[in-house]
Amino acid sequence: MNLFHNVRAQWLAYAVFFIVLALVPLFVGDDVFLLNQLSMYGVYAMLALGISLCWGFGGILNLGQGIPFGLGAYGMAMTMQMQTQDEYNPMPPFMLNNSLTELPWFWVPFGNTTVGIILSIAIPALFCAIFGWTMFRARVSGPFFAIMTLAMLSAIGTLFLGMQPYTNGANGLSPPRSLQLGELTVDPYSPGSYWVVFGLLLIATVIAKLMTLSRSGLVARSIRNDAERVRFLGYNVAAYETMIYTVSGIFAAVAGACMVVLSQYVSPDQFDPTFSLMMVVWAGIGGRMSLLAAMLGAFLIQGGQSYLGDELDATWYLFLGTFFILVVRFLPKGLVGLVESGLGRIRIGSKRNDGDSAASEVSLNPQPGA
Amino acid sequence: MAAGSLFLTQFNWSAFINALVLGLSIASIWLIAALGLTIIYGAAGVINMAHGELIMLGAYSTYTLQTSFGIPFLLCIPLSFLIVGAIGLLLERVLIRYLYKRPLDTMLATFGVSLVLIQGTRIIFGSSPKYVDVPEFLSGSLEIGFVNIATVRILIFVVTVAVCVALWFLFFRSRFGIQVRAVTQEKEMAASFGVNSGRVYMMTFALGAGLAGLAGAILCAMATVLPTMGGNYLVPSFLVVVVGGGALAGSVAAGVGTGELQSIFAYFTNDTFARFVLFILIVVFLRLRPQGLFAPSAKRR
Amino acid sequence: MAIDRRKFIKNAALGSAAALGAPYAFTRTIGQAWGQQRWVSNGAPIKVGVLFSLTGDLAVPEEDSTLVLQYAFDEINANGGIAGLPVEPVIVDARSDFNVYTERTRELILRERVVALFACYTSASRKAILPTVMAQNHLLYYPTCYEGAECTQNTICTGPLANQHSKDLIPFMVQQFGPRVFFVGSDYVWPKESNKNAKVWLEAAGGELLGEEYVPLGSSEFGPVLNKIRDAQPDFIFSTVVGASDIAFHRQFRQSGFSAEAMPIASLTTGEIETRAMGNEFGAGHFLSAPYFQGLDNPTNQRFVEGFLSSPYGKNGVTHYNMEETYLSAYVFKYGLEAAAAAIGLEEVTPRAIRDHSAGIRVEDDISPEGLIWIDENNFNTWLKPKIGQCQGDGTFTIVQASEEHVAPDPYSIYPELGVCTTNGLVAPDGRVRTNVI
Repeated sequence: MNLFHNVRAQWLAYAVFFIVLALVPLFVGDDVFLLNQLSMYGVYAMLALGISLCWGFGGILNLGQGIPFGLGAYGMAMTMQMQTQDEYNPMPPFMLNNSLTELPWFWVPFGNTTVGIILSIAIPALFCAIFGWTMFRARVSGPFFAIMTLAMLSAIGTLFLGMQPYTNGANGLSPPRSLQLGELTVDPYSPGSYWVVFGLLLIATVIAKLMTLSRSGLVARSIRNDAERVRFLGYNVAAYETMIYTVSGIFAAVAGACMVVLSQYVSPDQFDPTFSLMMVVWAGIGGRMSLLAAMLGAFLIQGGQSYLGDELDATWYLFLGTFFILVVRFLPKGLVGLVESGLGRIRIGSKRNDGDSAASEVSLNPQPGA
Repeated sequence: MAAGSLFLTQFNWSAFINALVLGLSIASIWLIAALGLTIIYGAAGVINMAHGELIMLGAYSTYTLQTSFGIPFLLCIPLSFLIVGAIGLLLERVLIRYLYKRPLDTMLATFGVSLVLIQGTRIIFGSSPKYVDVPEFLSGSLEIGFVNIATVRILIFVVTVAVCVALWFLFFRSRFGIQVRAVTQEKEMAASFGVNSGRVYMMTFALGAGLAGLAGAILCAMATVLPTMGGNYLVPSFLVVVVGGGALAGSVAAGVGTGELQSIFAYFTNDTFARFVLFILIVVFLRLRPQGLFAPSAKRR
Repeated sequence: MAIDRRKFIKNAALGSAAALGAPYAFTRTIGQAWGQQRWVSNGAPIKVGVLFSLTGDLAVPEEDSTLVLQYAFDEINANGGIAGLPVEPVIVDARSDFNVYTERTRELILRERVVALFACYTSASRKAILPTVMAQNHLLYYPTCYEGAECTQNTICTGPLANQHSKDLIPFMVQQFGPRVFFVGSDYVWPKESNKNAKVWLEAAGGELLGEEYVPLGSSEFGPVLNKIRDAQPDFIFSTVVGASDIAFHRQFRQSGFSAEAMPIASLTTGEIETRAMGNEFGAGHFLSAPYFQGLDNPTNQRFVEGFLSSPYGKNGVTHYNMEETYLSAYVFKYGLEAAAAAIGLEEVTPRAIRDHSAGIRVEDDISPEGLIWIDENNFNTWLKPKIGQCQGDGTFTIVQASEEHVAPDPYSIYPELGVCTTNGLVAPDGRVRTNVI
């Protein structure tokens, strides 16, 4: 039995991963930039986690992950912006320049921090549920669904650009102060912020992992392999697909909210198709079938961009593009596929065979189309 | 605000008809950008995320032919078709042919290709916009009654119609077309009748890429030649293909429909809003008719 | 340092022990050590951050900004540096990606410890990095035109504000071509703010606004807009279309049967670079308002143009208003740092001190190619003379009018009800002061 498919070994790998991450702040010393940068990588990892759940596990290629990400980010940015408004200045400055005389109704709830944070997650979740349900009920799937998410992403990006009086258009929102939680100021450079981001990532990972191991996870995985057959067996395919898509959207929304806490900025650029495609690239390079590998893919690519990017300069995207093509062509399971086949050589007795890559029997044809 | 007042006070028929004519022109631009994508998707089921970049290559090949070899603009159009077609052929042989069974992976691999093409172009040509010289008669306009239309738009329209007609003949009146349709409908059966499906896919991909090159060559008379210009055409062409269902006639109908709607919405409101409404309408449309306007066969991808 | 680290580890342990809610973990005790670390020290080069996009969409204007800054710092270093110390620019590539802008800003401030940042072309990227700059009480030189309506204690801008840019252009066009005007712009904040200012000047000049249209950023389809212009029949067009769209706009303008003679475009953006990319015949005859043109006839400019173009940085073969404004920012920084050093001592200089001592800094016409400019004492924007140029058939601009007087920058000129920007913040009419208004 391949150790790679041993669920206990997988949990152990996750445990090691998160323990290492948790200890990082103790070693970076006073390099607060590094701490902040690593927190940001946690955000990227959460996005890759969502993609891995949705695409690797549910078979739904989602090129519009930027939608819940951006909506979550805007929600948090609106909350933080409202925290800096007071009774004398009830409206964000940019609205006054756009000749609004009072706060728009949909900004009002964000005046309350708790409500604002809840809405930052709830609105993208609701959007995903409705959009997913609409599409999956119509049995839009595979490449068609991918294109529709891309079109929706463009549409929403255009909307946020166009609604300048309410969103500040292309300039985006830059809340001038860090997030306040009661008496507490969340300093984006502090170990605390780092731990919050990775704590959320841990929770999301556990949820995702438990989903993949559950019974409904098994159904979702069968849908990936042959949706028609599952439908004939009497399962409500659309409901399962919507669930997976929505959960992955919630992860993206949390990531968006965290990003704004860390960077104090959001703009319609978050809806740029290239960014959403990059999330797929992270998961694809790391290994979409494994949650952990997808997250490591995000670390690898973003780390590469931050640290190799300057050396390679103009050739970075050339390098990344070529690398990605090679991975798609030769390693459909991503770099982790190498680990899998490596571990496959080592024979270890185990009766359990489950988890991320229970799909290994179809590994030669991992994309059954739709 | 501005939209409402325009609608109420300034509506006049001559302007509206101008908007309709312009809609045809926008439709022809979107359609010519989408034709290559349609053919590749319709025949091989491949969604080519690098399509916009092939359009961009068409524009850059025109620029290079013109500045380095002094070839006149109109001649650059067929040459760009050949050059980008050859690049498409290469791409198919080296990469795409291994991925026909994995449609989602083709999307991703071609996204990788688009990254490489954009950055490669940038390294070779730099990121600043390039200037393509067009003949004098293309920088004027034609006035028929109150309808005013730029000659370059007429040229694009004529070329689009000509290409559509040519494609129709190719697919429905030639031996190659029969082979393509046979392979699209039932690959194994076609193979048992001696059709080399690998070759058919290869030629279709090259043809589709060539059409993207042609689109790029002709569009650079109006648009700005930049390494990232392809991105502007990608989503509209996808939508044309998706709404059309991957069939040639479907794409023509979808192109005309979306182009006219864009122009009419833009007439009543503004460009940004027009885009948003159009995208939403398409999502709603596909909810109601997921197979598109004209599904090529009963088989759904 | 050692004590701080121990304290930090204690805090970190507490933080993890008390789980996520522990307030300790959120306070940056490690940061306290910075206060003692100097920004500038004798004998070491002065580090400044240069943060522009060298790749991606924004590289078109921003690569030139990086090049001209390198030229300026070389020139400053060749003439003895700043307060006797050489300047060392730390050049990074922002890749036209806002996430990279924020990341690099932090890296430059926190890790490289640069004393000032020269960054950004678009307002969106400025908005992206400003929260970081303000949180660190750092200093940003923003060397290009922008919309104003911002009042921070950490920015110095050397480009024209919306209230300066079109002040002469609109009356000039109304006088020359007639009162009926159509506004076209890219769909974002700067064009809209510029148009609000332009409306003020238009009203004063007795003009009439026939329509106002915005196209999406990067769009190359101007058919609908040109149809609306044809219906309205204006005497001239006022354009704030930027970037690649601007090139498409000028080409389609002529292709749709319009001509510069009958209906010229008065632009705030179409300079030498844009004209070259669209083809000279498409740019010829139109007007541009800017504080600087390559063709300005004065010895300083001649020296600047010749020096820059013959230097290794002049590979793109043009000097552009945006480049000149960027060039000036290097000198504003030099004089500001020298003033601060003279007042509080070189080693005590902080980014904020440079900003505070930059009030009223003058760059004389022996350095400034556009002629004397100075930094406003209250809002830290630039007093300058906007000029109007007309594009010729060869792509160069002839100056048709130069402002007699320096025009004052006023970021809140059209929002007097919001207050007045002063050195300590935005003073509202009721006397309340708000800092860091962005």
